[in-house]
Amino acid sequence: MKHILSRTIIYFVIGILALLWLLPVLAALLVAFKTPQDFVSQKFYELPKSLGLITNLKDAMSQYKIQHHVLSSLFYSAIGAAAAILCASAAGYSIVRLRPRFNFALFLIIYSGTIFPFQMYLIPVYKFYNAIGLYDTRLGMVLIYSAICIPFALFVYRGFYTTIPRETEEAAKLDGCGPVRMLFYIFIPNSTAPTAVVALFQATWIWNDLLFGMVLTRKEEIRPVMVAVSSMMGFGGTSIPMLMSVVLAVSIPTIALFVFLRKYFISGMVMAASE
Amino acid sequence: MGATRRARNQNPFLSYILILPAFALVVGLLLVPMAQNLYYSFFKWDGISKPIFVGLGNYLRFFADSNFVQSFVNTLIWVVATLAIPVAGGLVVANFLRGLKLENLFKSIFFIPLTISFVSTGAVWSYIFSRDLGMLNGIIGLFSHGTKVNWLTSVPLNTGSMIIAWVWQQLGTSMVMFLAGLSTIPRDPVEAALLDGANKWQTFVHVTLPMLRPVTTVVITMAMVNSFKTFDIIYVITRGGPYRSSETLAVTMFRETFTMFNMGYGAAISALLSILVILVSVSYIKGMWKKDLLFY
Repeated sequence: MKHILSRTIIYFVIGILALLWLLPVLAALLVAFKTPQDFVSQKFYELPKSLGLITNLKDAMSQYKIQHHVLSSLFYSAIGAAAAILCASAAGYSIVRLRPRFNFALFLIIYSGTIFPFQMYLIPVYKFYNAIGLYDTRLGMVLIYSAICIPFALFVYRGFYTTIPRETEEAAKLDGCGPVRMLFYIFIPNSTAPTAVVALFQATWIWNDLLFGMVLTRKEEIRPVMVAVSSMMGFGGTSIPMLMSVVLAVSIPTIALFVFLRKYFISGMVMAASE
Repeated sequence: MGATRRARNQNPFLSYILILPAFALVVGLLLVPMAQNLYYSFFKWDGISKPIFVGLGNYLRFFADSNFVQSFVNTLIWVVATLAIPVAGGLVVANFLRGLKLENLFKSIFFIPLTISFVSTGAVWSYIFSRDLGMLNGIIGLFSHGTKVNWLTSVPLNTGSMIIAWVWQQLGTSMVMFLAGLSTIPRDPVEAALLDGANKWQTFVHVTLPMLRPVTTVVITMAMVNSFKTFDIIYVITRGGPYRSSETLAVTMFRETFTMFNMGYGAAISALLSILVILVSVSYIKGMWKKDLLFY
């Protein structure tokens, strides 16, 4: 009896909390579907009289060119994460298996990039980018994003590569497989799980970034999507339904990734914490 | 071991080439700039004209700058609040969630805000807190007519409001960590304690919590580091305003550097921020070192 009672209380408390957590999502969804007129004239809980979502998105596209920013950010997420994965897995392989002199020191140097807050290198990178023409370029964005992603990626690969059995490697070596082919034909193909974690995490991080986009870009075609959302909020003229429709649109990719790849997300979080 | 030794002697050049891209990117774009940033922090510099060496001048200016003091106090409020609420809350939620039939559903609900960016979170909450059309004042208006709270423009309520938005977003982090930690705890000691007549609360405090300590350290360190670095959510919701009243160190650094062009001063603020973050992480990094997490 007592057991059932405590179960009920737990369900009740967690249920209320879960509802509280869902409320902002539902509120934002509701507003995204309203027309600006309905939003101003209705109470917050009333359902929209006419569906405004499509018009809201269209307006955001014509006024703020959100579609350009979305494309840029897709590019940065994909290429930035891919470049980080390539660099980090090559370095991780070399550090774990080829073990050149100073391999541990090299690892620590690369890994130390993750300890400091971004603010610590923001100004010099901004000056440097301006000086060599990387400011406001796609290449510049990809480079800084992948540089920031590399330490964590290296940590993951370095840990994982130690678990790949040596027998596979020895067999390949007998077949005349050199280190580079070993990396591309044995190590990278056999590390789906860590690659999924790193790709998911880093692509999401890049997609969600505001700071570097704001500091290192200016042109509309180059600016990432979160900078565009942030500047929509800076203008008084943006209607809240339009803003919410954009928030909905730019959150769908990361939420979808999470829904489909939930187990990688969670193991990635645990890994990111233990790095 | 033989294999590795052979490999080492075989082709040292190639093994360095494989490390080079990662090394060059991190050193060139992160580590060298960090050193430069420290150097800049000793100069008065608008970013264009010739920097003037001022020694520790920028650091001494902290004490006289009321905006900085406000920002520092706000940062401390953020750190304390975000330590207490998401960490304790995450622990409680994780503990309750475990073994429920709907565990996965609840987990997803608390986790989804984490996949949304800070910018989107800020946008959603700036609607909720909006004075005239916001949801929160709408709810309050149902009960008492005509009451309108200035969630985002009165001090220090604006910082509190933004912390709520942050907690909403971040609770999932500590929840996931604690769930992972709880699942590694063996059942035996817990059951033994219960058999010995300890009640659930006593068992939790005296048996479970001590065993969770490594996880708790990680969660607390992460929460502190993250709240020290808080930027996006504040920048998006209030831009640090009104009148710079809700800035934290990261926001102040950004404003001083990129809107007021006090680059040397901005560099000094970021150096201070880094020192704080490192101080907080020291015990944790040490622990990792001891546990051989870094060595293989």
